[in-house]
Amino acid sequence: MPKSSQHQPVQVPLSELPVGSAGRVRALTGEAEVCQRLREMGFCESAVIQKISGQHTLVCQLCGTRIALSERAAQHIVVELIRGGS
Amino acid sequence: MPLPPHLQPSAPPAPDRRQPVYALVGNPNCGKSTLFNALTGLKQKIGNYPGVTVEKKTGTAWSQHGQPLTVIDLPGAYSLAARSPDEAVLRDVLLGRRTDTPMPDRIICIADSTNLERNLYIVHQILDLGRPVILVLNMMDLAAQAGLDIRVARLSEALGIPVIPCEATNGRGLVELKLAMSRPDLPLPRHSWSIPAPIAAAVSELQASLVENDRRAPLIARAEALLLLTDQDTVRVAGSTTLSPRTLEIFQSWQKRWGTSGTDWAGSLVQSRYDAITGLTANVVRQATAPAGPNTSDRIDAVVTHPVWGWLVLGAVMTALFVSIFTLAQAPMDWIGNHASLLADAVKHRMAPGDLRDLITDGAIGGVGSVITFLPQILILFFFIGLLESTGYMARAAFIMDRLMSRVGLNGKSFIPMLSSYACAIPGIMATRTIEDPKDRLVTILVAPLMSCSARLPVYLLMIAALMPGNQVPVPAKVGLMLLMYALGTLGAFGFAWLFKRTLLKGEPPLMIMELPPYRLPRLRDVLQQMGGRAWIFLRRAGTFILGISIVLWFLAAYPKASAGANPAQQLAQSFAGRAGHALEPVIKPLGFDWQIGIGLISSFAAREVFVSTMGVVFNASADDKENTAPLQQAMGKARWPDGRALFTPLACFSLMIFYVFAMQCMSTIAVVKRETNSWKWPIFQTVYMTGTAWMLSFIVYQTGSALGF
Repeated sequence: MPKSSQHQPVQVPLSELPVGSAGRVRALTGEAEVCQRLREMGFCESAVIQKISGQHTLVCQLCGTRIALSERAAQHIVVELIRGGS
Repeated sequence: MPLPPHLQPSAPPAPDRRQPVYALVGNPNCGKSTLFNALTGLKQKIGNYPGVTVEKKTGTAWSQHGQPLTVIDLPGAYSLAARSPDEAVLRDVLLGRRTDTPMPDRIICIADSTNLERNLYIVHQILDLGRPVILVLNMMDLAAQAGLDIRVARLSEALGIPVIPCEATNGRGLVELKLAMSRPDLPLPRHSWSIPAPIAAAVSELQASLVENDRRAPLIARAEALLLLTDQDTVRVAGSTTLSPRTLEIFQSWQKRWGTSGTDWAGSLVQSRYDAITGLTANVVRQATAPAGPNTSDRIDAVVTHPVWGWLVLGAVMTALFVSIFTLAQAPMDWIGNHASLLADAVKHRMAPGDLRDLITDGAIGGVGSVITFLPQILILFFFIGLLESTGYMARAAFIMDRLMSRVGLNGKSFIPMLSSYACAIPGIMATRTIEDPKDRLVTILVAPLMSCSARLPVYLLMIAALMPGNQVPVPAKVGLMLLMYALGTLGAFGFAWLFKRTLLKGEPPLMIMELPPYRLPRLRDVLQQMGGRAWIFLRRAGTFILGISIVLWFLAAYPKASAGANPAQQLAQSFAGRAGHALEPVIKPLGFDWQIGIGLISSFAAREVFVSTMGVVFNASADDKENTAPLQQAMGKARWPDGRALFTPLACFSLMIFYVFAMQCMSTIAVVKRETNSWKWPIFQTVYMTGTAWMLSFIVYQTGSALGF
């Protein structure tokens, strides 16, 4: 679809990703230690995350597992919205 | 410092001499414990790593040739870069840094096949150690259900190690695993991955220093060097050997160099490792069929983690837990209580009156019997906790509680230790080892004993029985009063957590990252095995510690002998225990307690439930001989102040219950906190703040109540 490729991909923290949609990890921000833990849990750059529910503490699906994150942890993960879901 | 022989890098494991040691390693929730149980059966030993309260589970498995093999179940972790004491123990055992545990000869890695990529991360780190590794791909059935096609042979070829598909829950793959374990020769891993160029220089320099100054084998040294670079804030736990100053110096100079250049070396190391793993799995894992819609776990989660329904489910689960503790346990408790009395009576008929007979009936049987009565409740509690853990609900409960916990500055992970503390503060405090932030961990340890543990139950039950005697009071009132005590303790725990996070242990509210494992049908055998283990610990304590205290107490209450002809009450007043109680009386009189209760307070400092057995000894001793085994509450009902007022008035009973909600009356907890925090500072602080609060609240309750005329 040539139309959608013209759009600049939207980058938001995981905490602001709409529930039900998927995103690709673009960057991890914040302390090195937090980033490392997130990476080791699989939140690597280019990993695809689907947000399942998200009130305060959010649940997301990452490579077939469910992970619960507190909102502050989710703010460290910058994702790019994948249009049309995963 | 000379290293013990098993740490000598040049000494290869001697398979002929000692039993080969296998270590089980894997992510949390990958089915590691189930596999451990399947391999070792009932031949398990649960202990502790000295210096930390990380549970050390070892067992014996048998090779195909009938040779015994030692299997160590190491704590689950996502990475060797340790963030919590749990993970630090895992790392230190694998690197041979612990003097109390032999370095494993072979490592069995367990990976959840439904999420191979992330599970392979720690496996990949372990392959770096250059030791024989067997990789077990667990939950192959679930992977197939999710439409994943895993080419096991290819993975085995790529890594150069045996890879065994397995379903630990139904025993599939176990024979193949045992065959692999029995092989006299296991190939060494031959995986390869490229360390980013700017880091490679640091790795080789650190490696050289580790070989030279810390006497590590070269491959272990390389793995440890890599680990040091991703493990900036190394968690050191008691019992692990420290690095040589030279290695530390090299490490710090590299750290400084990167700090100024702004390279995210830890990040790039993790990234390059994941790149290597992605390369591996691309050839191995195929998504054969797209997963069909939401699965059962998703559907359950839609309800259980729902912002409204989730709370209702949690509330229902907790209610079911407490209702079954108070209803189901009643019959077996009465049975145990009656048999203890029958046994005491039987002894009485057969023995001549004298000190020895009194020691056996009043001291040993009376003391231990009143504590063992609570075994059914403890069994039910541990059964529930085991059930919740094995179904995967416990993680959801933590998730739901995260919101509430974050209000007081803790995260959802603190909920599991606090829930376990309803059973006993000791497993609760041990469960804090999964909390990464040391401050949060300490706050959780400090408040966990405020949750009403099962040792308080006997005291509450006795007081409720004294407060609302017989059948005149409806059951709901009794249950309500009991729940009030639990609520008070829980509120106290939250209140103090809030206070500590704002004053003593200031810190950011923690970040929570927690895996929610898929729901599983509980494995009854595992649950029962765990419950049996806990019950055994309780019984052992009743048989040794509490028996000892009961006998000592009986002695303290029986000696020194009063002059001949003195009645039992005079005898008790004259005894050592009576004197100690009298000395304490001025302090506790404003709370409504006399010196006889004082004896109970002193003795139950050892363990709360001892209060009940002490009351048994104290009041039986002061009652007539005929009524020796009469129900304790009757004897207590007859207790009087010297001026003739009843001692156990409703207000005094209530005040006593409040005291027990808050007071730190448990030596074992103090010992565990000491071991856990590695200093006397925190257990002493904890004892002072808890008992101080208890005294103040009881004072307020009793004085206000008295002024109001209760």
